[in-house]
Formats: sequence, structure tokens, C-alpha cells
Amino acid sequence: MNSTELIATEQTNASNGNGAAPLIRLSGVTKVFLTDEVETHALSGIHLDIREGEYVSIAGPSGCGKTTLLSILGLLDTPSGGSYALKGNEVANLSFAERARVRNREIGFIFQSFNLIGDLSVFENVELPLTYRGMSASDRKALVTEALERVGMAHRAKHLPSQLSGGQQQRVAVARALAGRPAILLADEPTGNLDSRNGEAVMNLLGELHQGGATICMVTHDERFAQHADRTVHLFDGRIVEDRMAA
Amino acid sequence: MFGGLWQDVRYGARILLKSPAYTAIAVAVLALSIGANTAVFSAVNTLLLRPLPLKDLDRLVLNQVLREGFDPYESSLLELQAFQQRSHSFVSIGAARQRSFNLIGRGEPERIRGASIAADYLTTLGVKPILGRSFSGQEDQPGGAAVALISYSFWQKHFGGNASAVGETLNLERRSYTIVGVMPQGFDLPAAADIWVPLQVNIDSVPLNERAAFGYEIVARLRPGISLEQADAESKSIARQLEQEFPQLRRGWTVTLIWLRQALLGDYAGRVNKALVALMGGVGFLLLICCANVANLQLARGIGRTRELALRRALGASRSRLVRQLLTESTLLALLGGIGGLLLAHWIVPLLAAINPIQGISLADYFRNFNIDGRVLIFALCVTLATGILFGLVPALKSAGEREVMPSLRQGDQHSASAPGHGWLNILIVAEIAVAMTLLVGGALFVRSFNRLQHVDLGFRPDRLLTLKMILQESKYSEHRQRVAFVDQVVERVKNLPGVLSAGTTTNIPLEREITYDAVFSVEGRPPPNPKDVPITANRLVSPDYLKTVGVTLIKGRLINETDRAGRPPIVVISEELARQAWPGKDPLGKRIKRVRPGQDFPWMTVIGVIKDVKEDLFNYRINRPVWYVPYAQVENNFPVNLVVRTSGDPASLTTAIREAIHAVDPDQSISNVMTMNENLARVLVTERFSAILMSVLAASGLLLAALGLYGVMAYSVSRRTTEIGVRVALGARRLHVLRLILGQGAKLTLLGTAIGLAAAWGLTRLLVSLLFEVNASDPVTFVSISLLLISVGLIACFLPTRRALSVDPMIALRAE
Ligand SMILES: Nc1ncnc2c1ncn2[C@@H]1O[C@H](COP(=O)(O)OP(=O)(O)OP(=O)(O)O)[C@@H](O)[C@H]1O
Ligand SMILES: [Mg+2]
Repeated sequence: MNSTELIATEQTNASNGNGAAPLIRLSGVTKVFLTDEVETHALSGIHLDIREGEYVSIAGPSGCGKTTLLSILGLLDTPSGGSYALKGNEVANLSFAERARVRNREIGFIFQSFNLIGDLSVFENVELPLTYRGMSASDRKALVTEALERVGMAHRAKHLPSQLSGGQQQRVAVARALAGRPAILLADEPTGNLDSRNGEAVMNLLGELHQGGATICMVTHDERFAQHADRTVHLFDGRIVEDRMAA
Repeated sequence: MFGGLWQDVRYGARILLKSPAYTAIAVAVLALSIGANTAVFSAVNTLLLRPLPLKDLDRLVLNQVLREGFDPYESSLLELQAFQQRSHSFVSIGAARQRSFNLIGRGEPERIRGASIAADYLTTLGVKPILGRSFSGQEDQPGGAAVALISYSFWQKHFGGNASAVGETLNLERRSYTIVGVMPQGFDLPAAADIWVPLQVNIDSVPLNERAAFGYEIVARLRPGISLEQADAESKSIARQLEQEFPQLRRGWTVTLIWLRQALLGDYAGRVNKALVALMGGVGFLLLICCANVANLQLARGIGRTRELALRRALGASRSRLVRQLLTESTLLALLGGIGGLLLAHWIVPLLAAINPIQGISLADYFRNFNIDGRVLIFALCVTLATGILFGLVPALKSAGEREVMPSLRQGDQHSASAPGHGWLNILIVAEIAVAMTLLVGGALFVRSFNRLQHVDLGFRPDRLLTLKMILQESKYSEHRQRVAFVDQVVERVKNLPGVLSAGTTTNIPLEREITYDAVFSVEGRPPPNPKDVPITANRLVSPDYLKTVGVTLIKGRLINETDRAGRPPIVVISEELARQAWPGKDPLGKRIKRVRPGQDFPWMTVIGVIKDVKEDLFNYRINRPVWYVPYAQVENNFPVNLVVRTSGDPASLTTAIREAIHAVDPDQSISNVMTMNENLARVLVTERFSAILMSVLAASGLLLAALGLYGVMAYSVSRRTTEIGVRVALGARRLHVLRLILGQGAKLTLLGTAIGLAAAWGLTRLLVSLLFEVNASDPVTFVSISLLLISVGLIACFLPTRRALSVDPMIALRAE
């Protein structure tokens, strides 16, 4: 199994090998959780490169480590071993503030449960990551409007999240993720809380973004949605067991 | 109906037991404020409300003569007769004159406080002897029999409570008095008297001078339907008639009536009453803070119970049914708090009594006994029930009152920081901070004012001074030179005791709570510009070393010394204030001044020295009154002699040696009021000290409760917002941003509360003006420093919740379902 995995990874590298450093490079990343003296190996020996413009979906059974992998990619968590280079820079030694900065500028999150802030309007929710950059109000406004138009929610800018349907909320969340023009969008089961029609709409939106050049890494259970991506990474028990380009 | 209630009570009890930590905190907070309320009310009850052993106390008034703009004096027979003959406001009028008796033949010679009373005195007060009888009309006539009434405690002490005391004789002032009755327990009017003898005067035959002499206490019982104001107005018009009839005696004088109860508290300026009202306001505020606090606890918990309550409504419970259920719960909680509060009050009340707030000395058994009686219990119960409803109502209406059931049922699905009742948490905490602010400003003003009063320049050095009082027996010291000789010998002996630095005598110890002697003065060559102006000075007759002993500050000239004896040129040492009034802008040294009293002639006295102002007068503590010091030997008098001794060590340790020195001169001489000057001074500011201590304790409790409340609201908010904070961190919020988010919320609440509190304090402290000394009611320093204090405490209260917020793991954003 170990050898297949390695080969698979190398194949990927080879197939995309055009000389430039990948946007993301994980080498031998492991993650061990320690709870009550029980070690859970959530990830073991993950090698993964993601290049600019790729649309990667991560699939696998429940508990195989998808969310854990995404949290490491998103700098929400640190690996127990191995190395992670983002845009060619090692992120292991970044301080809390630097990690926050990287998350803010390079990464756009889309969560399963939308995670819009209930006290803020749609506009303010989308604006939030930009305010952490110390960007001027007019620049923010331009970016927020652009992002909202992109997801087709500009007409709801003044509404509160509670006044929107789930699908609309997730579209706002997508707008929030892409407003700051991040290097990569990370999505954990973006359709998990949506019915199939709304789910389809959000998936189409991500597809359009990908067409426009966005790099996307998405966790999904759903084989049908995984089809949208042009590359699917299968995890099993914390290891990559298959890494396949779409036909 | 009752079945339902019982069910509610049982269910409420179960709910309270289910969250013991919440219940314990709420009960503790409630107990604290109900306890404080009950304790302060017990003081109010004791001092202002509780019946005293006098009949219909609320109809009894005390008449006082005063100079316009001055503190009151006692009355005289002149006023007594005028009121008896001309007034229509009173059912009866009585008069008493404080005296003290040297009791001999019953143990060590003893000075007994007593009074000469006109027969109407006791009937006016509505008091009868419990044994024997009162004085007969005959006994009150001049030349009547030598009879006496004794107090209950005197009876117990000297006769062991034996009924055969009636008919026994007492040797008072070398005269034998027959005891005719024993007064009821606790009765000791006027001025802590133990012995009463008949006044035995026929006012018409008393020479006018004596008739106009002060020293009488006039009590009167208001006619039914007559108010104090009406009686006061009539009395003032009678005083105006006296002013016209006897201009040489009463020009510039008027009278005022105050309630006897107020007079008994020693509260001539009405400050005790106001201070107690302010304190009740203070504890009321504390109660409000506490209610807001508990209401917030309830609300926070109620939000957690929204689903349960919505479910109950879905199952058919009416809104009023739910409100009743929730109110039962809060009343149950309040009752637990009330029980805790009573226990706390039981423990605080003796402490309050120990920092006794009043200057009066009569009826001490009643006024010093701040116990928890039926009235206090009823008050505590009312406060408890009101509290239960007050803190229970908002959460109950809020929790039970959601019109739609579905949103509440679905609430759990929503990941939103806003929920019903959340806004109320903020409103209540802002109110809490505002009330705490008001309380703190009040407390700070009281403390500052008390501090100013305490650091008022007394004009002498009170440390290491021992004082005692001697009343020279008239029979033994009938001539003044005998008294002077006695004083000289005593001072000489005491001065030579080891440990004594110097010794002297005066006729009144500064700031003592006794009859003090004043004099009307006239300045040579300067008749008063306004004929109504009758200048008055405190009149002190002192031995040569007295001024040096108490440590006055000489400004110019010299102090009294051994050469200023009888027969030498009369001299006087005056205070700066007297100098200012008598010779404004001029050098008083060598100028002459004299005492004036109708029918008597006093010699001109030459000013030989000016000293810094000395606080002599208890009731004029807040201002500087003129005072002069005249050699004891140069003025014939039989005033009490107060020995003042400055020691090198602890003054109290010399008491025995000094007693022996006095008894070596005269073994029969009674000695009383032995105390250090500092003990004497401790009694001066009792009311102010009481309110300063209490107000600051209340303010501190209020601050603590408000800080706890803010902490609770912030902690609750952070716990509710955990996911939101996680999301923000995931989106790139740095520590600074999170800090700003949480502290910003806390600061907003604190600042808003502080601002509202400032405005409220600005308005309310105006009511304290008459209680404050040299502190402006809107003193900017106090307002600014209290605001800063409150804001810092508010930020400290936000510290822990903020730390919790900073440690939120952004992973929660991914994991939250
Ligand atoms: N904080 C943690 N402490 C201990 N174990 C953890 C922690 N987080 C995740 N795990 C464990 O790590 C493993 C991987 O979890 P992860 O959440 O990445 O799975 P997943 O693939 O996202 O599953 P799902 O499809 O159900 O979301 C699981 O066994 C999980 O129990
Ligand atoms: Mg997962």
C-alpha cells in the first residue's frame, strides 16, 4: 500500500511537473492527536502538491482525516511531523500573528455550516477578512461588491444571515472566501448542510470560480460532487490511497 | 389554584437544585443586598421609627432659643413663661434644667447627672414613676420639700431594686432629699439624668436677669391638629414680642422648634435624618444592582431554557402560566436570599451599633440597641418579595413572552450570536454600572467630606492629653478664692507627677458634649454697627498653664501666665476670629474688650495675645467661632473645672496617680468624664463617620457586584460567541482584533453605564450638599477619579472572558456542526 501511494503521488507530481514550485507542498505530514493518553493518527505520511489553478477534491470515509488535512492546509492547525510549504515558503515556524496574516491573505475558507456572523449584515460578513488587513473602506467596498456580484448576492448586501436561505448563506460564505483574492479556496463539505438543489448551485459556483482561475481544495463525501473537481485525492485511515486526475 | 402553586413551588425547587452553582451565586448576591438593606433599616428603625418610653413621641417638640444664623442654645424661664401665657399650639409645656449632684454617703463621692424639673415636665413627656409618685404641685413651689425621683438604673445600683427605696433619703450637695418615686427603666431625660428634683421657682419673683438666663430645656406637646410648622411660626412671633419687650436681653434672638426625637439624637442641624435617608437610598441602590445581577443570571439561564419553555408552550401552557412558574422560581430564590440576608443582618447590626452614629446621650438603651424587631422583619420580608418580583419579572416576561413558538424551537439550529434576551443582558448591566457609579460617587463624597472634617485644624494638639471634670461643691467652695486655691493646688500636684509634662484647667474642654459657656461682648469705642447685632464669643476661664498645655498656636503677644492673678489688671487672650470680628484689619494687642450682661458689670480686659482659631464648640465644628480665654482667677465663677494634662507617655496610664493627687487636696471631690482628648474627639464626628463608613462599604459592595455582573455578562457572551470568534480567527483575525472585539464590547457597556451614572450622580449628589463639608457635591476630582476607577474595574472584569476569547481554537469553525 505504501508503495502505491508513493507512486501515485509521484505520478501526480510528474504529470504536473512543469518546473515551477507548487502552490502547496506537503511532505511526509503526520498529525497525531493525544487524548487521554490515546494516540489517534489522523494523518500519516501525507505527500501532496497542489498547483495553481488546480481544483482538488478530497474524498474518503468518515474519520479518515479529511478535515484534519484541510485544517493543516488552512493553517488552523499544525502538523505533528513533516513539512508544509505554501508558495515555496515553509510555514512551520510562523508566529501566531504571521499565521493569521497568511490565513487572511492567502486562504479563503468555506465551511460546512456557513459560519456567517449573525450580528453582521451580508456586506459586513464579506468585508470582515478585509478589515483584518487594514484595507481602506473604499477598497473594501469595491472588493466586497465584486465578490457579492460574483456569487449573485449583491442585491442582499444589507440583509442579515438569518434572513437568507441556507443556499444563499453559503453563497455569501463563498463570497467572503474569495473577496480577498486568496491563493487558494478551502472548502469542507460546502454542501453538507444544503439540499441537493442548493448543493448543486454552490458546486456550479465553485466550478465557475475554477474556470476563472481559482485554486480550490474541497472536502466532500459525495461522489457526484467530487466529479466537479479535476483531481480527486482519496484518503483512508490518514493516508492517501489514490490520487487521480479526472478523465 | 393552590394545587398549581404547590406544583410550581416543587418544580421551582427542583430547577434550583438542578443548577446548584447558579443558585448559590444568586442566593449569595441576594443575601448580601437584602442583609445590607435590613441592617441599615434596623438603624433607621432604631433612630427614627421605634417607639421610645415617651407617650406619643411624634407630638413632642423641643424649643430652642437661637441667634439668627447661629446654632441653638437652651431656653430660659423667660421663654417658658411667654409660651405658657401666650401660645395656643401646645397641650402642655414642661421645663427642665440640667444639673449635677455630688452624692455623698453612698460609697465613693460620685457626680450624678440630674435635673431640676418643673412638675409639667414629666406629664408633658407622658412618663410616670413605676414606683411611688411624682412631685406634687406643692413640692414644686419655692420652699417646697426636698424630694427626689431616681432613675431605674440608679435604683438598681444603689438600692438593689428594693421597693423600700421610696422614702429613703439621699445626701445631695450636702442636703438631704427624700426619694418619692422611681422612674421607668431606660427613662433618663434630660441629658442622661439619674436624679430629678423639683425646680421650685416662681417665675414672677425671679429677677429678670436670671429669668433670661439660658440653661433650660423646654419640651412641649403639640395640640392635636397643629403641625410643627404652625407651632414654630407661632413661637417665632412670640419670640419677636420678647425681642421688643426685652431688647437689652433678646435683641437678635429667635426660637425654633424641632422634634424631640431629633433633639434626642443630638441632631440639631437635622443631619442624622438626612444621612439615614441617604444611606437608605444607598442600600436601595445596592438592591437595584443586585436585582439587575440576578435578573441577568436568570436571563442567561433563561436563554438556555428557551427550548424547554417553548416546548411547554407548544404543549399548551399559557403565557401567564409560564410567567407564574418563573416568578415562583425567582420568589423562591429571593426567599432563600432573604433568609441569608437576615442572618447577615443579624451579624452586621451589632457592628452598626458599635459605630454609633448619634451624639445624643439620653435613652442610650433605646438608641444604641439596633436589634432586629418585628418591624425590621416585616421590612426584610417586603424587600425580599419585591426583590423576587423585580429580578424575576424581566426574565419571566422575556422567556415566556416570545410570541412565536417555532423560532425558539429552531433556535438551537441557528449559529447566531443574537438571541432573545441578549439585549436585556446589556441593558441591565449598563443600568447596574450606572447605579454603581452613582453609589460610588456618593460614597466618595462622604469619605472626602469626612476626611476634610477629620483634618480640620483644631487649633490645638490633641495627642497625649488626659481630661477630667470636677464640679466644685458650692457648700464647700463658697468663695471664689477658695476655688482658685483648690485649682492651684491640684495643678501644682499634678504637674509634679512623673510622666506629666504640663497641666491646666478650663471651664469647658474643647468640643465636649456638655453645657458650654458663651458671653456677649462689647468692644471699647466700637458700638456694634447694627443694633440687632449682639456679638457672642465662647467664654473660657483658664488656669495659667492651660493654653500651653493644650498646645494652641500663639500668633502675637503672649499667653496667660502666673502673673495674671486676681487683683492684677484684667487681661484676655483672643482667637483670630474674635480679633477679626472685634477689630477688623487692626492690631488687637492692647485694645480692650468686655463681657456684657444686663444687670451685671464686667471690667474691661486688655488683649495680651492672639492665637490661631480653636475648635471649642461641638455644634459649630464646621465653622470657626470666636473664643476668648480669661484667667480663672480674675473672674468670679462657679463653672465646672476641667483638668487637662499633657503627658509624655500614654495619658490613660496616669489616671490613678492624678485621681490620688486630686483627693490629696480634697478627699470629697468628685471626678468624672475621665478620658483622653482623642476619645472626646472621637465623639465629634460620629454621624459623619457612620455615613462615611457605611456609604463606602455600600459603594464597594456595589462596585463588586457590578464588576461580577459585567464579568458574568462578558463570560456568557464569550461562551455564546465561541464559534464566531473561531470563525474570525480562521478568517485571519489577530489577537489584537479579538481583544478589540471583546474588550470593545465590555468597554462600550462600561462607558455607557459610567456616562449614565455620571449624569445620575450629578443630579442626585445635589441632595447631599447639606451633609458635605468643604467638598463640592459635583466635585470634579471625585467624578473623574470614580469614573476612572469604575472603568478600570470594568476592564478588569472583562479580563478573564477576554483571555478565554483569545484562546479560542479556530478549529472550532471547521468542526462546528
Ligand atoms: N481534536 C481532536 N482530538 C482527538 N482526535 C481527533 C481530533 N480531531 C480529529 N480527531 C480524530 O482524527 C481523525 C480524523 O478526523 P477528521 O475530522 O479529520 O475526519 P473527517 O475525515 O473529517 O471525518 P468526517 O467525514 O466525519 O468529517 C478521527 O478519528 C477523529 O476522531
Ligand atoms: Mg470532516
